This record gives sequence, C-alpha cells and structure tokens, in this order.
Amino acid sequence: MIDLSLEGLYKTIEAPFPLSEILLSQANDDELVKLSQESGTGLSLDEMKALVDYFGKLGRNPTDVELQSIGQAWSEHCCYKSSRPTLKEFVFGIDNPQVIDRGDAGVMEFDEHHAYSLRIESHNHPSAVEPYGGAATGIGGIVRDVLCMGCQPIALIDPLFFGKLDTPMETLPKGTKHPRYLFDGVVSGIRDYGNRIGVPTLSGGVYFDDSYTGNCLVNVGCVGIARKEHLYKNAVGGVGDNLVLVGGATGRDGIHGVTFASAVLTEDSEEDSRGAVQLGDPIMKEPVIHGVLEVARRKLITGMKDLGGGGLSCVCGELAYAAGFGVEVQLDRVPTKEEGLLPWEIWVSESQERMMLAVTDENLDEVLHIFKFNDVPATIVGKVIPEQIARVFFDGVKILEMELEFLTGGPEYCRPRTVKTPEERCTENPPEEMSDYSDALLRLLADQNICSRDWVIRQYDHEVRGSTVLRPLQGVLGHACHGDASVLKPVEESWKGLAITTAVNPWSTAVDPYRGGKGVIDEMCRNIIAVGARPHSFSNCLNYGNPEIPERLGEFHETVRGIGELAEALNIPTPSGNVSFYNESETGSVLPTATMLGVGIIEDIRQAITSDLKGKGNLIYLVGATGSEMGGSAYYRVNGNCSPKVPDVNIDILKASMDAMLSAMAEDFVKSCHDLSDGGLAVAISEMCIGGQIGANIDLGQVGELRPDVKLFSESNTRWLVEVEPSKAPMFESLFGELAIFQIGETSSDKLTIIDNESQLLEAKVTELENAWKNTLWHAMGGGE
Amino acid sequence: MRIEDIKVAILRIEGTNCETESYQAFERLGAKPEMVHLKQLTGQDIHDHEKRDLMDYQIIFIPGGFSSGDYVRAGAIWAARMKSKLAGPLTEFIQEGRAVLGVCNGFQVLVEMGFLPGFDSTMSQIPQAVLSTNDSSRFECRPTILKYENKNNCIFTSKLNSGQKYLIPSAHAEGKLLFPADRGEKFYQKLEDNDQVVFKYVDPDGNYAGYPWNPNGSPHNIAGICNPDGNVLGMMPHPERVFNRYTHPDWTRGFDSEVGDGQAIFESVLGYITKKL
Repeated sequence: MIDLSLEGLYKTIEAPFPLSEILLSQANDDELVKLSQESGTGLSLDEMKALVDYFGKLGRNPTDVELQSIGQAWSEHCCYKSSRPTLKEFVFGIDNPQVIDRGDAGVMEFDEHHAYSLRIESHNHPSAVEPYGGAATGIGGIVRDVLCMGCQPIALIDPLFFGKLDTPMETLPKGTKHPRYLFDGVVSGIRDYGNRIGVPTLSGGVYFDDSYTGNCLVNVGCVGIARKEHLYKNAVGGVGDNLVLVGGATGRDGIHGVTFASAVLTEDSEEDSRGAVQLGDPIMKEPVIHGVLEVARRKLITGMKDLGGGGLSCVCGELAYAAGFGVEVQLDRVPTKEEGLLPWEIWVSESQERMMLAVTDENLDEVLHIFKFNDVPATIVGKVIPEQIARVFFDGVKILEMELEFLTGGPEYCRPRTVKTPEERCTENPPEEMSDYSDALLRLLADQNICSRDWVIRQYDHEVRGSTVLRPLQGVLGHACHGDASVLKPVEESWKGLAITTAVNPWSTAVDPYRGGKGVIDEMCRNIIAVGARPHSFSNCLNYGNPEIPERLGEFHETVRGIGELAEALNIPTPSGNVSFYNESETGSVLPTATMLGVGIIEDIRQAITSDLKGKGNLIYLVGATGSEMGGSAYYRVNGNCSPKVPDVNIDILKASMDAMLSAMAEDFVKSCHDLSDGGLAVAISEMCIGGQIGANIDLGQVGELRPDVKLFSESNTRWLVEVEPSKAPMFESLFGELAIFQIGETSSDKLTIIDNESQLLEAKVTELENAWKNTLWHAMGGGE
Repeated sequence: MRIEDIKVAILRIEGTNCETESYQAFERLGAKPEMVHLKQLTGQDIHDHEKRDLMDYQIIFIPGGFSSGDYVRAGAIWAARMKSKLAGPLTEFIQEGRAVLGVCNGFQVLVEMGFLPGFDSTMSQIPQAVLSTNDSSRFECRPTILKYENKNNCIFTSKLNSGQKYLIPSAHAEGKLLFPADRGEKFYQKLEDNDQVVFKYVDPDGNYAGYPWNPNGSPHNIAGICNPDGNVLGMMPHPERVFNRYTHPDWTRGFDSEVGDGQAIFESVLGYITKKL
C-alpha cells in the first residue's frame, strides 16, 4: 500500500510500463525511513543517507529499480555487514594449499585429478512460514551453489531445529506453526526435492528445543565432485560474453527473500512475507543439472553463477564484476511466469531453478541447443561490457545504471557486543546422585534429541548414485543405529572416499559460546575420525538472533573465536560458509546454533569403520579423559539441571588422539568405533550395542574420581569408544603413548551392564535399550509398524 | 556375440536419476552402455549425429528416478510418451528376444506401458497392473532381502541360485504391485503358472514377512516379475546399487566375496546375449 504522506516522493517516469523516480533528495529522515519500509528493502537510515549522497553526487534521483537493487545487495543476507569483521578476524585466514576456490561453494582438492566442493547455508525464515516449499527450495539453492562451481552434486546434508514435538498448542505464540507441522513439512519438502533430483541425503540431524518454536532452523548443505579441468569460477570470461539465463521462469514468488531473511519473524510474517517464499520445481532442476554439467564438461562456457538471494539484481553484477567488468541487461527478455510483472520485481525475484552462464558468441548456438535438448529454457539476457557498471534496460528504456563498486560494496558494521560469562548465564545446580541409573539411561535414549532418527532418514534416498559406502544408519539389518559420519566413494576408478558429517551443540554454545565453538569443531573431527577418515575441510552455517542486540552479537563473536582457534590449530580450512542472523520471534532468540558440515578424506573406503559392535569377547576401550563438565549436557537438560562448566578442548591432546586413532585404524586394530557426544558414554555404548545386537560389561572404576552420573553422561570432548580384538590390544594400546585410554570392559551376550568398581550403575537388555530408543519419533509423528 | 560388442541403451528423460550407477554396472562388466535420451529415439530437438535407433542395441535398461516428477502416477508420463512414439519398435525389440530391464521407476514404466506382466500379448493396450502407493504412504529407503523364486524362465537371473536370498535395497514410494481387484488372485496364479515371479521380499531368516521387510505391502511379497518369455524384467529394488560388496548396507560386518548381490543380474543378461545373439 502506498503511504499517502509519501506520495509526493514518487515521480512517474514516462515509459511503456510502470517506472518511478524516488525523490530521495527531497526526503527528510523520517521519510527516508518510511521509504525504506514501504519499498520492503529494509535499509537503515544511515544506508538511505548513503544513497542520498551517492545519487546527489550523480545529480539525479534513483529509480525504483535502483533502490530495490541496493536493498538486495546491502541486505545482511547478501553482504554479511554485521558478521564480516568477526569472520575476517577468526576464520577467513585459515589457509591451506588444498583450497582451490572460495566461490558460491568452497572447492577443495580431492586427488590429483579431482576436486570436491562443499557449502551449507540456512533457509530458516521461508521454512518457518511455508515448511514444505521453504525446505525444498533450500535444497534447490544449495545444489545450485555446488553446481555453479562445475561440480556434480553428490550428497545433501540437512540439520534441522524445531520446538519440542509435544509443545502444547495453547502455548504457541500467535502466527507460529506447531513444531510437528513444521517438522513434517520440512522433512517432506527435503524428501520430495532431494529424492527427485537424485542426490543422496547422507547426513544431518534433528534437534528440538523451545527456543526454536517461534523460529525453526533449516540448514541445508551439499557436497559435489568434479574433474579439476571442469571447475569454473563465478566470473565471466571477458568483454562481449553473453549472459545466458537458463532454467525456470521468473515470477512473483521469492520477492524480498533476502530482506525477509534479514529481519526478525513476527506474527504477521505469514501474511506479509508469504510471497518471499519461492516455489521449487525439482523436475526443472534435474535437467538443469544435466545441461549445466554438459556445457561445463565440454568447456562451452566461461563462467557461471546461480540465482539465489537477490535474483538477477545480484547475479548479473557480481558475475561481471568478479572479472573486473560490467554488464548490460535487457530485462524484458527474461521469461516470466505471468504477464504484468514490474521491472523491479523481475530484477529482484528469487524464483527457483535458474542459473546464469557466461558464453562467448562462438559457443552460443551449441549451449542453446543443449538446453533445448533437455527441455530447459535458455535466454540471452545481457552482455559483458568493459566499464564496471551495471546498465539495465526494459523495452529500450534505461531503468538502472550504477557503478558496481558501489552496488556490490555494501556497508560493514562493527556493532557493539557484550559477552556474559558462563557463570552469569547459569549457576551450578547438579542433580541428586542415584543408586541405579538404568531408568535414567532408558529415559535419555527415548529423549527427542537422542532417539532413533530412522523416521526421517528412511524417507530420504541415501543410496542413489550407488556410491554410498557408509550410511547414516549402521549395523545389523533391521537394527541399524546412528553412525558418526557417512562415507561416499565419489570417483569410479579410485578407492579414495569422502566422509561427511554434521556437528552442532547449541546447548553448550548457549552456556559458553567460546568453548561451544571449540566443542563443535572437536565433535566434527571426532565424527570423521570415528569412520577412519581425516578431517579435511568444513563449511559452517551460523544461526543467531538479532545482531543489533549486543549480547547476540557477542555470542556470535565468541563462538566464531572458538571455531577459528581450533580450526586454525588443526589447519582445517573453511572455504565456504553462511551466517543467518535475525533468528528471533516474539518469544526470543534461538539458541546460538553453529552448524558444521565437516568433510574428511579416507584413503581407502574398504577400511571404513562403523559404530556397531562386531563380535562377542572383544575389548572396549574409552579413548580420552572424562571431566566433571556437565554444562549443556543432555543428562542435565533432561533432568532440569544446569552447570556453567562446558567441556573445553585441549588442542594438543586432540591432535595426538586423532593421529593415534587413525594409526590404529590403518593397522586394522579397530572393529568398531563411536564418538561420545549427546548423552555421553552410556548413550554411546548403548547405540553400539543396538547396532551390533551385542551386549557389553563395562567397569568405569578406572576412569577417575568422579560422580557416577558424570562418568556415565559427561560430554567431555575428544573421546571415543573403540572395540578391539583381545589379540590386538597390546599393539592398540601402544599407539596411544601418554594419552589417556582405558580398557573399560568387553562385549558380551545380550545385556549392557555398567559398574563403577564394586557398585552396579545400570543394567539393561539390548532389546530394552533398543525399544526405548527406536519409537519416540514414530509415536510423535505417526506411521511405522 | 562378444560381451564388448553388446550395446546397452540406458534410457533417460527429465527426472531419471539412477542412470550413472546403471551405466557403470554394465561398463564394469565390459559391455558398451550408452545414455540415450528419449528424444534421441523420437528425433525431437536433436542434431543428426545425436539420433539413435533402438535396433542398434541388444539391451534396453530403464533406470530408476522420478521421470517427469512421477506426477499423475509413477512412470505414467514417461510410459505415455514412449507408447505414442515407440510402441512398435519396442514391441519388435522384445519379440526378437532382446532384453529389457526396468528397475524401480523403470518397472513402473514397463507396467504402465503394458509390457509387464504381458500375459496375452507382448504389449497390452491398457495396463494390466499398477505399482501403487506403499502401505506406509511414505517413500521408503531401506535394505530389502529378495528370495529368488524363478524356475529358470528369466534371462536376467540365470546366474542366481533358486531359493537363495539376495540383499538388494529398495527406495520408492510406489511399489505395491496390484491387479484389478476382481481378478487379483487369478492374475497372481497366472504369474506363478507362467514362471513370471522372479523375486519376493523376505526377512533375514528367509521368511515371507510384512513391513518393513516388505517395504510397500505388495501382495504375495512380490518384488519383481518378468514377462512370459522371460526377456522383460521389472523389479522395484535396485541391483545397480549393490554391484560391489562395499555398497551393501552391512558390509562392515564381514563378507566372503567382494562381489555385490546385484552383480549377477547384469552378468546373467550379458551372458544370455553373448549366447543368443
């Protein structure tokens, strides 16, 4: 709706279509703020004033198209204006010769002839409003990020965060959808899109906490592979290149997606921003992937980039400017879904399934043929020009002309931040000690955050492409349990593999963001090591609240400090990543949620290790020291306790332990291995028992002078459980030198028994463990046996 | 003919997505697979050098996926497109004794086209069966164990041992083989009488079992059937995904051979073609 008080600030420009001049030069501060709101651009007063200055120097006012263009380019989502200083300080500098490119996805060396690419990003706000479409288009977007580097997408990774499934309806804030509805819709959206485009979903996670009730998080990751000679930059080749738009038509879906993503959710978000959610079409995407990979392999293009946030307004300028050039665009040529779209709508629409290719005149006909063959529309919409300027025409009328340095520059803020100490966040409040922990363990196994994920996992195709070596569920057929990482064999002629995992711990990060940041890197490494691979790179998706609130930005800064410190010490680079702020609703901010997509390399997939126990009479070792540091732990959460002491990481011990573990695996000393995370040792050994359908007798006496519940449920970092055949035990132990390892028991019949010196802590049959663990999601969501 | 002369057309349209691993299965055994888009057979939107003739191939493989999104009904759109342009050549191809294998979406296409079960003629004018929505109403990606039930009619299974179990995983939302309600049992009996039942779902002990071992609720646990002549096979589970042992879901628990359970199907059909054509 046009605010009548602003009517005088719009001047119609004569053209055969609606076009306005925005009279910025005549607006006062109050009117600038209103203009920003009314246009949906979300620019702050200072940013609007920067525009007044810029156009003042040019001696003219902007068109509505130009104002919209800047709104997209300068959004938090596109230009990382609040996060960039922190990222620069801690993670951008981690360099490593194996990093090949840092484009829309990061590209890393796989072997002499191949590279892999990776990225994870958020699709939170669209999924909160329309879970099915929001999640599906999230997959679509991340797949394009990998595709536009020239890579075949080979794996999807989806960490999801919702309110508790048993949240009472009456406690939901107005305008908020129930977590069950969101969970079901998001999983369906990922299933229907991911399965249809033929990319296996190999890793992820589902996490439930009240803080996500008003603002669920949907993080989507993708990994791809290519021969090195088929990699492309997100840049044009040179002046005179044609810009060819391929894929779906442009419509009114997905308008202002990036500005929607850069504001907090309100009860009116559904009504106001439904149009910001795009519509996905996997059966357009599948042939787009075919066509793009074919033109890439045949070297018929000079560069490419996907259309994501900001649509054409971002891709045209960025593609040309990355090579030091500019672009002229004929916007009226863009195929549209309906008549009557305004030029600015076409310019900023985030409609899905679109890619922009740079093509020389010489190769144009063949490129157009390949897309026609695949039934994918392809249209020449622009040309690269030498000067670093974007010029856009519609029906012959110039509607935008801006310097790309200004347009793509974007502001950068060092916003104020505060950091609370863990002790200010919570006080030590331990539970009562108990004489028997059997019920406590069964309750933990049935907890929404620990129970079996098979309700989700089996809806996703995790085997398409026929190269999945380790699945998300591992073990005896019909009893498979959670593994730590999945493993792919991406290259036909090689046994080398990629291990892919997800790591996140919002609860410990909420208590101590710095240690939480370190902990999440430790977890990522543990997961990758557990299957026998070496951590090689990671991509992160950092989901936080409103960065204009100093405490939120402080949480962000401290987490990234922890991540950066550990990643740098391990020299594991992060060639891509994503920050998602404004994850707040009327009930407050989400927990600080730093999600890692970790990738490791295993030299020979035939040596991969799974988490299920393999045989009776084998020894079980606990690798790593256990501490009384229960802050953020599942055991404390489930029982309503808290502690400011979050597990820390000793970098030297982590490095040495990783090396020792990999040596033991290379020597074939390890029959099974599982990392210790949510629920600690007791949950980890239970999962190993379930997956192997074998019991274990455990004695935690030698683990240290600790409370029994700490021994059972502590989530101290850098720990694994390892199954070793007795004959190999001395050689196994010798590899660990001074490191803390404990032979805590052996595999046995069909029962898990844990004692602490003389006193028995718990006992349960493997079938009891399995029954407690396997049904929670089925009961909450329906279906099953 | 020699194995290296056997040409396999791996057919695809938009939404086909198991073509890479299917291609590799034939290539690893020394045959000559080629990805062939439906348009290369119908002649639409292509250069002259892209045109292909069905009769240049000995085997047609219709891979899994979501052809045209599986909108309408799984496989229905692809089947309609093939039927309108290629019904004649495909019928001739089958009548000559060449081999057609459809996996998952490919099975759905063969049923929609009327090539399976193919009781009375090579191709029935209207489909005689349907692969209907799973009982769970969900997509199910899970290990499935198949008992080999054919008595030696099917050319895709000559190297399999009768009564033996094979771990061949499933991943589909529409895999329940149904016949018209009034003729259901009669048709099942006909399948048995004609030796057209090739695979049935069983549990790890080899017993016919319900969900989840029968992932879709298919009556009589049917997982795959062939035509009466045995040269057209359709199956829901994916043999191409278990070509070698390292893609089996439980391979880390020990195994005797590096050969995966799916490999014998590809070997059988190639063996048949080398002898017969």
